[in-house]
Amino acid sequence: MLASFDTHIFWEALTSRPYWHGALLALELTLVSLAAACVIGFFLALGRSSRFRSVRGFVFFYSWIFRATPTLLQLLFIWNGLPQIWSTFASDWFKPFLAAFIALSLNEAAYMSEIIRAGLLSVDPGQELAARALGMTRPRILRRVIVPQAIRIVIPPTGNEFITLLKLTSLAYVISLHELLTASEVRGAADFHYAEAYSAAVIYYLVIVSVLMVIQAQLERRFTWSSAGRRRRVPVVSVAHDAR
Amino acid sequence: MNDVVLRAEGVHKSYDGLDVLRGVSIDVGRGEVKVIIGPSGSGKSTLLRCLALLEPVDSGSVYLESERLSDLREKQLAAHRSEVGMVFQRFNLFQNMTALGNVMCGLVEVRGLKRREARERAREFLARVGLADKADNYPEELSGGQQQRVAIARALVMRPKAMLFDEPTSALDVELVREVLDVMEGLARDGMTMIVVSHELRFAHHVASSILMMDEGQVIEEAPPDRFFSAPSHERTKRFLALVE
Repeated sequence: MLASFDTHIFWEALTSRPYWHGALLALELTLVSLAAACVIGFFLALGRSSRFRSVRGFVFFYSWIFRATPTLLQLLFIWNGLPQIWSTFASDWFKPFLAAFIALSLNEAAYMSEIIRAGLLSVDPGQELAARALGMTRPRILRRVIVPQAIRIVIPPTGNEFITLLKLTSLAYVISLHELLTASEVRGAADFHYAEAYSAAVIYYLVIVSVLMVIQAQLERRFTWSSAGRRRRVPVVSVAHDAR
Repeated sequence: MNDVVLRAEGVHKSYDGLDVLRGVSIDVGRGEVKVIIGPSGSGKSTLLRCLALLEPVDSGSVYLESERLSDLREKQLAAHRSEVGMVFQRFNLFQNMTALGNVMCGLVEVRGLKRREARERAREFLARVGLADKADNYPEELSGGQQQRVAIARALVMRPKAMLFDEPTSALDVELVREVLDVMEGLARDGMTMIVVSHELRFAHHVASSILMMDEGQVIEEAPPDRFFSAPSHERTKRFLALVE
């Protein structure tokens, strides 16, 4: 059976510097892209229910563009195409990491906006009415009443998005970002021990996702508002779904 | 009564071409309690929302202590809303805050009080509705009656010039109605100016300065409780009372 799986090579790859760095890079890229996507997505979500037609139109157009085209195409477009259209980007500071960050956060924002919108809508409008009756202004109502409750709803699907995004960072391989997949590809090609090289990468992805699941469960408990709920265990719901 | 606290004059309001209020005038003097009854869809809740400055009126005016508020802009309105307390049928407590947090919220976010000061005053008002021991509970851990009392304390702590109640007991189990009505009767005794939409006729009889009957977006009858119940002048009122009792 395991005809030629060399555990020594596997272990050596697992503990090597490029893997460690690649994993860290993938994780960093995921975190900053997801954070940016949450911010952009929040405003897109608000824009969806704007009273201005042009704003609603823009949001529709945005999510249409970013959801209807392959992420890989977007990534290549930003990396290769953008500097041609806009000369500001045709210079040294425009690094693969930045390009990947821009592409992934813009792409992810389209998905996050839907998730955040569902979260905002899940808060009973009666609470907003009561807050208005108290004399609270709209930004304060959002900050104190609606957003904290929306977060509870938004956490589980955002966990899924984290996983999806983590895997999408491997696409940045094509724009020569030295993330985890690149590390395993290089390692495998060095002496053709692909099975060992890829397996080591698998371990890293699994570890990152497992840590996330633990953090997610804790966050969910943090955003449950009953004295009992803080003790209750919240089941971990994280099955990544679509292959973008 | 010269000292009018809250007044609506010829208020019209429609939604999507449906006339919900068709020229409603009502005023409530300091310390008066007015109870509004009427079939569903007669415009009672909409009238309260207009009086609470939550809905702009299409035409007509709303006055708070002789200041005309119905043509102010949204920004200025927000400040005035805190002068009128509103209690809703479904309590509408902030689910992410404890009972104490709910009562403190307006003091901190609207009045700009320091948290410590707000907490003290909020405790005082929770005690007033008999819930001092529930300060740290979240709404989902409270009974409907307790939630509604927290909602009353939340409005009251702002020291409003008038309190509006929109069917405050109709979402409650029967055995929880009394505790809420008791709090409201206490308020009335203390001289709070109130407008109450409610079908608790015993409460109305007991507490109201006068009772108003609304139907199809208009006030069709207003009378002191004794006359209202013993000799209603309007045919529609007679029919409605027969149904409710």
